[in-house]
Amino acid sequence: MTTTYDYSRSQELFQRAVKVIPCGVPGHMSPGVNVPPADYPIFTEKAKGAMFYDLDGNRFIDYMCAYGPMVLGYNNPLVDTAATEQLKSADLTMGASPKMVELAELLVDMVPVADWAFFAKNGGDVTNYATMIARTATNRKKIVMIQGGYHGVAPWMQPPGHHGLIEEDYSHIIRIPWNDVNAFQQAVDQYPDQIAGFIATPYHVPTFYDNELPKEGYWPGIELICRKNDIVLILDDIRHGFRLDMGGSCEYFGFKPDLICFCKALANGFPISALVGRESLKLEAAKIFYTGSYWNQAVPMAAAIACLTELKRLNAPAVMLENGEKLFSAMQTMAAGYGYDLNVTGAWSMPNIRITNDDSNMLHQQWCAECTKRGVFLASHHNLFMSLAHDEAVISQTLEIVDEAFNAL
Amino acid sequence: MNHEKIKALLNMNAVMKNLEELVRLDSQVAEQVKDLDFAMEFSTLFGPKCSVEFKAGQCRVRPGKHASPRIRLLCFSSAHFNRVMEGKSNPIPVKGIRFLKFLSTEFPKITDRLEYYLKPDGAKLADPEYLKINTRFTLNTAMNAVKFLAIHDPLGKFNRAHIPTGTVQFQVLPDGPSAVLHFDGDTIEVSDQPCASPSAVLLFKDEQTANDLLNGNCDAFAALATGDVKMKGRIPMIEAINLILDRIPMYLS
Repeated sequence: MTTTYDYSRSQELFQRAVKVIPCGVPGHMSPGVNVPPADYPIFTEKAKGAMFYDLDGNRFIDYMCAYGPMVLGYNNPLVDTAATEQLKSADLTMGASPKMVELAELLVDMVPVADWAFFAKNGGDVTNYATMIARTATNRKKIVMIQGGYHGVAPWMQPPGHHGLIEEDYSHIIRIPWNDVNAFQQAVDQYPDQIAGFIATPYHVPTFYDNELPKEGYWPGIELICRKNDIVLILDDIRHGFRLDMGGSCEYFGFKPDLICFCKALANGFPISALVGRESLKLEAAKIFYTGSYWNQAVPMAAAIACLTELKRLNAPAVMLENGEKLFSAMQTMAAGYGYDLNVTGAWSMPNIRITNDDSNMLHQQWCAECTKRGVFLASHHNLFMSLAHDEAVISQTLEIVDEAFNAL
Repeated sequence: MNHEKIKALLNMNAVMKNLEELVRLDSQVAEQVKDLDFAMEFSTLFGPKCSVEFKAGQCRVRPGKHASPRIRLLCFSSAHFNRVMEGKSNPIPVKGIRFLKFLSTEFPKITDRLEYYLKPDGAKLADPEYLKINTRFTLNTAMNAVKFLAIHDPLGKFNRAHIPTGTVQFQVLPDGPSAVLHFDGDTIEVSDQPCASPSAVLLFKDEQTANDLLNGNCDAFAALATGDVKMKGRIPMIEAINLILDRIPMYLS
């Protein structure tokens, strides 16, 4: 029987953090997003493979994978060696790195839609750039996105009412429901020749809610409307990319966007994002001045080359989908044995799981917390992530702890 | 609905609503109203109305017209009413001339006490009794404001649309005030009675924490992380309510 964890050192450090940092730990890594925060670690000491260790020495099998970037396992020797070797040569200098060209060629070769590639740091950098390209290519203002969709934290991406936003930030954003081709057609009819781009994730991953795969015919329907109306189709593959298909998640679902945004699994945790696109938009992309102080860093590019090459060699999406199915279907069976319905939605390689026995989600929150404080880190309101480090041995350990957590409810 | 009308609605139904608690919690006001037995109506031309009814030492503030008010006070506009609330103008008494003395001397004493409790400063908040009442009034104001902002404020409506049917409970620990917001379709009900099976719960460690958070004087994420504020259940309901609460300073300062 695993004992539950103590987080006193993490909490002590957090008391220091709140004095000098807004929120203590800001953003999506804030302990405030965990329910209850007291059952979750705050600071990481070290990590290896599928595990990370917090400041109190507690070990966690990580099913959040740092919200997705970790895909080969923490401190993967192959990726880290590539990065370290590049660092010894040069990282950020006055000249662009040859690695940038090499990485662009790799992506163009690997992703069927891609004729060119552009690199930045975060997912939001490239989702924003994609909409700028759509606007300059069409000379139109409006962007259609999905209600509850997440594309980053730039003002236009955030729902109205959030702090720091003004009305003008979203005056050209049209939000439509997911899986509703008709709603898109209605928006096109309502704003003829005004819609520059349609942006969405390959399937719907709203925080706090079950994930939703595209209905049969959804993506072809969206693609057809885009083609008929000269609307740029943007796939936000930041979260899903390389966990469904190495050619981009559009290959998995059978459609061809104009632009694809990648980030998270691109470099196993090294900071880099990429926008790839069709030849027809290359000149439009070139017209926009868009850059950042660290976007030319060679180390993350070297890491991305190593990471993508390894993911491809290992047929990573198929492995993660298979292992995810083994793990989460076993969890479902286990849950049923305890009288609980564990609903699994989305793809097996990055599913959302939720105990549905009570409407308020309090039971699910309690179970995730029981798992976490025994060593299986589960966020209660976000899709989880598999990695190649979540192998059979890790899955077996996970199931043992999950069983204890069900017992503790 | 324009800004001044929404502000008037909040002044009537969220700020003045605290008169109901004031007559219970403030001994000076309780003494003043114990023998009163009449209703007064506040109305604005082309705008909202509300009534304040005193009876048996209690007070009820309700939206809309009163069936038989002894006093009727008219404002020419919502903006006029809002200036009255700020002490910068006076309403026109159109009924109840014999209550002029009450209106000129007694009622201002009551509203002064309300203002005293609603406008805290560091020194006043150092008094635990004041902190307790100010926290209760702030919570009441916030909850009742949500009800009206969710219907009339454009961003309030946007965020209301994301709140499913259910009940959110706010509770100041260990034995402080509680409030419940119940959402069902277009209906929003405010109550101070705890709910047996809420959809979501927001707990404040103590009066000071609740006061700081409700007045925007503390880092909410940090408070959640330290456990000073705890939430569980359907978090999106709390998040959406929080975004509606954030609209209050746009109308009430």
